[in-house]
Amino acid sequence: MNRFLTTLILLPRNAGVLVLRAYRALISPLYGDVCRYYPSCSAYALGAVQEYGLIVGSARAGLRLGRCHPWAEGGIDDVPPKRNRRYTVTSFGFVIATSHGKG
Amino acid sequence: MDLLGTILWPLKWAVELLLVAFHSLFSVLGMDTDAGLTWVLSIVGLVIVVRAALIPIFVRQIKSQRKMLEVAPQLKKIQDKYKGKKDQFSREAMSRETMDLYKRTGTNPLSSCLPLLLQMPIFFALFSVLNDAQRSQAGVGPLNDDLAKSFGSATLFGDAPLHDSFASQWTKMIAGQDFNAVVMWIAAIMVVLMTASQFITQLQIVSKNMSPETKASPMFKQQRIMLYLLPLVFAFSGVAFPLGVMFYWLTSNIWTMIQQFLVIRNMPTPGSEAAKAREERLARKGKLIATDGDVIVVEEPKKSQRQQPIAKNRAKKQTGPKK
Repeated sequence: MNRFLTTLILLPRNAGVLVLRAYRALISPLYGDVCRYYPSCSAYALGAVQEYGLIVGSARAGLRLGRCHPWAEGGIDDVPPKRNRRYTVTSFGFVIATSHGKG
Repeated sequence: MDLLGTILWPLKWAVELLLVAFHSLFSVLGMDTDAGLTWVLSIVGLVIVVRAALIPIFVRQIKSQRKMLEVAPQLKKIQDKYKGKKDQFSREAMSRETMDLYKRTGTNPLSSCLPLLLQMPIFFALFSVLNDAQRSQAGVGPLNDDLAKSFGSATLFGDAPLHDSFASQWTKMIAGQDFNAVVMWIAAIMVVLMTASQFITQLQIVSKNMSPETKASPMFKQQRIMLYLLPLVFAFSGVAFPLGVMFYWLTSNIWTMIQQFLVIRNMPTPGSEAAKAREERLARKGKLIATDGDVIVVEEPKKSQRQQPIAKNRAKKQTGPKK
């Protein structure tokens, strides 16, 4: 696919990644460890936005927040992976187009 | 009405109802209707209602912490498995296994962020009620015109309005205008008190109510960081928020401190220093039965009748083998 177009499509979710990274660096530590799930809600949100994009990812994160309350069982609750991954995630968390050549 | 206003509307209504209810209670009791103190006490009343409503969540958390004693050996096994492994991958695997153990045994000690998330809108609602009251604007419900005016113009110590903040006075001071030093003093003192109460709460937990296992965990380190980060947050918000909102926060902090003190004193984490102190205290009074008193009572029901003393050889006869 056109590289420019891909970057454009990925722009909203990368903006979301930036906001979530900032939240996790600045605001999460104030709460301490409170989440009844692994990964924590904000980590889940980050993963969901990376995997599904800003809109679907946010919706999934919202559902997770709804699941996380003092009466929930908790436990391991990962973002369900997409069947075919088209993008690569950088170490910071940005989503980029998988470089060509490797197939 | 904008989106945020629509979401906050029911909460604002509830906050106003509680404020007005406490305000009329204190007025009936003979306090000055327009005094700042009456309104501050109304805010305190609001906090008490909110925090009392959150007690069940807190109790639940304590109960699962107690249950954690049962899984302590398994928890220790996981910690030993990852001992000394500091890389991100092992630490993630460790949290994953720990969380799985909590779920399997139903001992999750974490409360989720709901209690915090619930308090935040209340905080915002109070903020916006105060903001409106500052312009003597009526609220959305029970806070009518007259009451809003009274709230908006209520002052502490003669001339520190509850809707004023450190920042607004600071701006005036920098601009060389007339400013209100009392507001700045009250805000500063509250920041100090909030920091102090937070410190005491955290120190109580860290120094007395932690089992050695928890102290060895990475969670402990994070809590230490919080201990030094929160005063900065308080200082920042103490500058920006109106005095009325700060009173909400301060009272809430003091509630947490007392709640924590009572819990540590009466139901300490098993294995912690507070638990040892409690055992000693009970032993001195001659009341120490066992760490779990009620269990013992079930095993040994009190006998209603005194057993007759039996002479040695008669006892032998009774229990000895029949001839």
